[in-house]
Amino acid sequence: MAETGSTPTRVTYDYVTRAIANTLGNPSRGYYILLGSAVTLLAIGITCLLFILRYGLGLAGYSHPVYWAVFITCFVFWVGIAHSGTLISAILYLFRSGWRTAVYRTAEAMTVFAVMTAGLFPLIHIGRQWYFYWLIPYPNERGLWPNFKSPLIWDEFAIGTYFTVSTVFLIMGLIPDIAAARDVATGWRKKLYAMTAIGWRGTNEQWRHYTRGYLYLAALATPLVLSVHSVVSWDFAMAIVPGWHATLFAPYFVAGAIYSGVAMVITLLVPIRKLFHLEDIITVHHFENLAKLCLFTGLIVSFSYCTENFVAWFSGNADERAGFWFRAFGSFWWASWTMNICNGLLPWLLWFKKIRTNITGLFVISIFVNIGMWFERFVIIVVSLAGEPFAKWANANYNATWADWGIMAGSFGWFFMWFLLFVKNFPAVSISEVKEVLPPPMRAKARAGA
Amino acid sequence: MIAVVGGRIAAQAASPAPGTPGYKAPLITDTAGLQGPRQPIFFRHDIHAGQDRIPCMYCHNTVAVSTEPGMPALRTCFGCHQIISGSTPSHQAEIAKVRKAWSDRKAPEWIRVYWLPGYVHFPHMRHIKVLGTGPESCANCHGAVNGTTQISQVPTLKMGWCISCHVARSVSRDCSVCHY
Amino acid sequence: MSDGMDRRRFLKVLGVAGGGAAALSGCGIGPEPTEKLIPYVIPPEDQTPGLATWYSSTCRECGAGCGLHVKVREGRAIKLEGNPDSPVNNGRLCARGQAGLQGLYNPDRVTGPMQRAAGGTLEATTWDKAIATLQEKVAAARGNGIVFITGVETGSFGELVDEWMKQVGGRHITYEPFAFEALREGNRLAFGDAGIPTYDFAAAGYIMSFGADFMETWLSPVGFQNAFTKAHSFESGQNASMAKFVFVGPRLPQTGLIADEWININPGTEGMLALAMAQVIVSKRLGNVPADAARLGLPDAGDVAKTIGVDLAVIERLATEFTRTSAPLAVAGGMATHYPNGGQIVAAVNVLNYVAGAVGKTVKFGADLAQGSAGKHADMAGLTTEMAGGGIALVLVHGANPVHTLGGAFAQAWGKAGFRVSFSQYLDESAAGADLVLPDLHPLEQWNDSRPRAGVYALQQPVMLPVFDGTKQTGDVLLQASGKSGTFKTYLQGKWAALQKRVNGKGAFEDWWDGALQHGGVYGEAPSRTVRLSAGVVAGMSTSSEPASNAMAVVFPHPALHDGRGANKPWLQELPDPVSKITWHGWVEVHPDTAAKWDVANGDFLLVKSPFGAVSAPVWITPSIRPGVVALPTGQGHKAYGRYAKDRSFNAFDLLPPEPNAYGGRTHVVGVSVTKTAEHRKLATSEGSSREHGAQVVTVLPLNEARGLKVGELDEEEIPVYARDAERGWAEAQHEKASLGNYAGEHPRWAMAIDLSKCTGCSACVTACYAENNLATVGEELVVRRREMAWMRIERYWRGDAASPSGATVTPMLCQQCGSAPCEPVCPVFAAYHTPDGLNGQVYNRCVGTRYCSNNCPYKVRVFNWFNYAERGGEFESWPEPLSWLLNPDVTVREKGVMEKCTFCVQRIRSTQHKARIEDRQVQDGEIVPACAQTCPSEAIVFGDLNNPASKVHALSNDPRGYHVLARLNTKPGITYLARVVAGGEA
Repeated sequence: MAETGSTPTRVTYDYVTRAIANTLGNPSRGYYILLGSAVTLLAIGITCLLFILRYGLGLAGYSHPVYWAVFITCFVFWVGIAHSGTLISAILYLFRSGWRTAVYRTAEAMTVFAVMTAGLFPLIHIGRQWYFYWLIPYPNERGLWPNFKSPLIWDEFAIGTYFTVSTVFLIMGLIPDIAAARDVATGWRKKLYAMTAIGWRGTNEQWRHYTRGYLYLAALATPLVLSVHSVVSWDFAMAIVPGWHATLFAPYFVAGAIYSGVAMVITLLVPIRKLFHLEDIITVHHFENLAKLCLFTGLIVSFSYCTENFVAWFSGNADERAGFWFRAFGSFWWASWTMNICNGLLPWLLWFKKIRTNITGLFVISIFVNIGMWFERFVIIVVSLAGEPFAKWANANYNATWADWGIMAGSFGWFFMWFLLFVKNFPAVSISEVKEVLPPPMRAKARAGA
Repeated sequence: MIAVVGGRIAAQAASPAPGTPGYKAPLITDTAGLQGPRQPIFFRHDIHAGQDRIPCMYCHNTVAVSTEPGMPALRTCFGCHQIISGSTPSHQAEIAKVRKAWSDRKAPEWIRVYWLPGYVHFPHMRHIKVLGTGPESCANCHGAVNGTTQISQVPTLKMGWCISCHVARSVSRDCSVCHY
Repeated sequence: MSDGMDRRRFLKVLGVAGGGAAALSGCGIGPEPTEKLIPYVIPPEDQTPGLATWYSSTCRECGAGCGLHVKVREGRAIKLEGNPDSPVNNGRLCARGQAGLQGLYNPDRVTGPMQRAAGGTLEATTWDKAIATLQEKVAAARGNGIVFITGVETGSFGELVDEWMKQVGGRHITYEPFAFEALREGNRLAFGDAGIPTYDFAAAGYIMSFGADFMETWLSPVGFQNAFTKAHSFESGQNASMAKFVFVGPRLPQTGLIADEWININPGTEGMLALAMAQVIVSKRLGNVPADAARLGLPDAGDVAKTIGVDLAVIERLATEFTRTSAPLAVAGGMATHYPNGGQIVAAVNVLNYVAGAVGKTVKFGADLAQGSAGKHADMAGLTTEMAGGGIALVLVHGANPVHTLGGAFAQAWGKAGFRVSFSQYLDESAAGADLVLPDLHPLEQWNDSRPRAGVYALQQPVMLPVFDGTKQTGDVLLQASGKSGTFKTYLQGKWAALQKRVNGKGAFEDWWDGALQHGGVYGEAPSRTVRLSAGVVAGMSTSSEPASNAMAVVFPHPALHDGRGANKPWLQELPDPVSKITWHGWVEVHPDTAAKWDVANGDFLLVKSPFGAVSAPVWITPSIRPGVVALPTGQGHKAYGRYAKDRSFNAFDLLPPEPNAYGGRTHVVGVSVTKTAEHRKLATSEGSSREHGAQVVTVLPLNEARGLKVGELDEEEIPVYARDAERGWAEAQHEKASLGNYAGEHPRWAMAIDLSKCTGCSACVTACYAENNLATVGEELVVRRREMAWMRIERYWRGDAASPSGATVTPMLCQQCGSAPCEPVCPVFAAYHTPDGLNGQVYNRCVGTRYCSNNCPYKVRVFNWFNYAERGGEFESWPEPLSWLLNPDVTVREKGVMEKCTFCVQRIRSTQHKARIEDRQVQDGEIVPACAQTCPSEAIVFGDLNNPASKVHALSNDPRGYHVLARLNTKPGITYLARVVAGGEA
């Protein structure tokens, strides 16, 4: 087991159980501060939303012809974040890469909460939020159905499926650990775990079924990693707006999604590791692997940027050229260049092992990648619309308002609230799977015999 | 409520169908039990249209040419009721209201029963053109008015209700036929 | 209309309650209102609930006197359209005419008589008291100076005022801030005839305008534009010809946009150019020069060329072109007639017309335009001094707002007048300073008449009961005050009885009168007068031009707000100015070079200071103004008048000299000093970029090229070779779909053709669309954020050299009703969908507002309801009572969160189809006319069924000049544009 070479030998089954069970202990004050600020952000977001519901979307910064802006940007951003979860837990599981064990739980939890966050935005951004259910196909006396030609409907299904599967996946993975937690827990938590562990006793029989089931579920979840963000990308690729209308979009978006997802995993793991003293279990080695994954996807993304611009020029299509010219040198040049620097240049630092193995460095880079990826979506959506070359007469500049930022902040609050609650109440690192990659404990006599 | 309905059925069993010769509108004792909003004047379609067999278009005279069926002007009411003053005290009381309204030049404020939102355009004339002007055609949407004592909303007036008829008669279901 | 029913009940008649309330609830959620159905006591013969009744009347938004057809539903006027019978406007209307309704239902109207109380505030009073006061004041003032100021009144009301003033020993001044003193002066100098002739644009073969904005504010804009287009438009064909249009002046107004050539000239030297051309014509014997022309002693063209800075070659070319046609026409007006030497410029242009033989052909004396009857600025200047000297005991104002337009000196003098009476419908600056306010009825509520030009007698009749019971027709008030019996209606009929004899109208008066009412008046021809050129005309002219200074400021009338009378109508405030595209505020036009010199950018404020006053105005940089010259529109800067007008930017009149010039007119061009200030603002413009960036929205053809054009040459290649098969497959799929459900069978394909050679950019269509389709006005703040709701915009692209264009090409941009529309497939709920009759339907009540359709629309003609503009008392309420009364009950009032767009006035299509069906017949071609096409003064828009080979639109869509905007996107638009043709020097 070369992968775990970097795990200290004092780390034993028993150590792991206690270390991780400890994360469920009484919250520190730092935890409360984090949770508090998350809830505050959420409150801000809700207030802005209430204003929008009462007075209308006009409170946000939209201006003709920029009819999609920060909300859809956030939507794509969060869906993107969601992606690494399934990748790490499902795909790496199928590839039997042992190093995932320490990090996949966090990734999965992040996935579920990110999808929960992303799903809110399509509802917030529509003009008559109270009629959102018209987008859902249900039999009605009017004989009206949604338009299955519309990418927005495909979206709805993609996101729905992804949410269901990733949730099931998360819960399933939790079962043995909850059982472990149950055995050390007391009070109401014991009751909770006893219930959620659905009678897990860890018998061979249970393990056999469990692993088999987990394997199948992983196989089932894997294609979603590719499909979901492809569908999301078609929201744009299906439209005729230069900068959207490109066959490249599906792979481009998937790569970008995983890129941002991995970055977010790093961003989340670093503080958790500190907060819960899991240095021995989530080791530098894990981070380095994440960094490699980050570098790999980052390069795909950069490559996509080049392709986009090259094709725009090579196609000889005047509209395409105008669109990309505006993107680079128009009134939103700053956004485009933020994107290019954060996503295109910074990850090259990860070629250096020194940086890959430097937690602080990684943390900083991951933050920048997150920012860069948010701007990527902003550039694709807002800048493409603002620079729309067909009806230049109608084009105006776009400025976001407090409502945009408020609701965006709210989405972060919402996400972190769920995440923090999760890590306090459920093992943030998989106990059982970490044990899997440890040398099994032997009786002394046996060792002597050996 | 039940009692009244029962009473009406009894009355109908005894006399021919509304709108046919010899039909006698029932005697209403309990108005509280009647469906629909209470109107300023207790106008009875079952007497006017059912018993006296006055054609619908005598009063709603723009229904065949306009989107609106038209409410009869007070002059139309008074045209008859300056002669007809009613047989029973209760009738006389109601007709007295009509005459008073005329002398005050103040039309009664009827409460609207059939209401469609502003984004639905229902051209009466098109439907009359197809269905005809007889009571039976009006009944398609307004129910057997000539047998009704007090007008109440019979159909749901929901889109599904419109559609079902348009489907049954294979009339266009294009949205922009009604919604613009 | 005139039975004894009281207004409230009249308006709450069945259908109104329903229509009104339901319309306002729009796609609203929440419980349905419990409504009352209140029938008539006695039904009026001419009203059918649910059906529109049309009344003929006359537009009084300016002095032109265009004929009106007023659409009335359930006792409310809801739309104004031109009266086809009227020879003045041939059934067309301008933006200001369309907006007349917002004057009628204006929420800031004075609702009843008011008198200044001891406390100094205006307080409500009764009519009896008010009229009594008026009578006693008149009695007291008799002999101590009584003056009655009215706007130009060419009808019976004017005569009544004259009679009354004669009776009480006062005088009657008619006042128009943009009057025609120079025109009359010039005609007097040239022909010894101070009348204002009619100009026959339609017959002209070559048109030169020396500053005349004859499509905006000059004399009879709608009629002139209509006639102009007949001459200037291009009908495809080998030997097709068109009248070339040359605009001469230091600034391009809307009228100049359509010009084929712009002679950018120093202010004041227009006349010299005309004389130089005349000299060339005479010396070179171009055309058939009248015998007496030689004795005129015209200045040598060569010398003139040097002084005015126009090449001799250009002058000679113009002269040649001008005389190449048998019927040329040169008009002088607008700014050119507001210079100190305006009279001479007009005279000079008259000389040009005379030597070219235009007088009598295209310039016809006889059927004189009545606007000439407006008084001189000198009268008002005289009045000012009199009032200041306390020489006026009583001054009455009707249909004018001199305190705003004359400002400064007059405003002070106004305070010194003994007693001030205003008959204004609104509390404008003059009314606010009055002691007695006797609100008149709106022209649509009253009886009246006018004589737009000799031989034409136009009638006004009340089309509905007054919106406010408290208002009273001034005619009635005057009759009562002067102790005469009868109403103004009877007075009017008396006049018309006399008129019947004069024009020997047939039959009994009643019948003749009814006929006149029906047609909106009686229309006859006036005998023409021949005029001779007075020999000494040229001799008396000075050839000097204005002294140079830091800058010359031109104060021009705003095309929509005019002298400011339109400023309280949100439709006009939100209508982008045809040239600058700026809404809701004033601006100062600066040439790019000048801007660079002064180091100012768009939106920077300039302090413009003249010897008489100063204003601070935001800069709009444009090549349509001469370097060194700045131009400012009038119209804004009200201190009163109403919620939409009050305290908006500046009043450009403040810059102008109060004293009259040589010919008794007011000088509108002054030397100013300009200083940059620190202030800056974002212009509330509807213009994103004035360049097309290769989008090929407009196509412009030189005349020669247009002649040789073959069908289909212009349209871009829609489908690239590699996509042909895919496209064919798609087409087949469409074909299959077309045989399903609603789509089975034969359907019309509604389509439109827009001739860019006719469109002048006047923007009447835009306002007509607001009126017909219940479009919300969103106000300055939201326009700055580009949230205006216009379904139709006029794009303006400069033509020729970027620094000094030769004009512009304007194009109306509205929903193209694409055959394969990008907006349709992306809508998740089928709110945007394809109707069987080829429209891109938009179902407001189904729309959830994802706005995907707008993102995918390459024409960007979809607008979104960011707020609830119908919310009572809301921040962005668009129709405060009683403005909401003009809402069209046939069109949904959209709720917040809903996308909306043009649907070719689908409500008109449907109602016509209903009508046809009831009458068991087919819809005729031309029977359905969308609001924009109906009002277009130049008849540039044609609507019809593309599937009907006999239809006009079908023919036009196969015109050689036809092309589709962004055809390369394969959207298959339903609108065919006909390329703009520009005349050069062609024979």
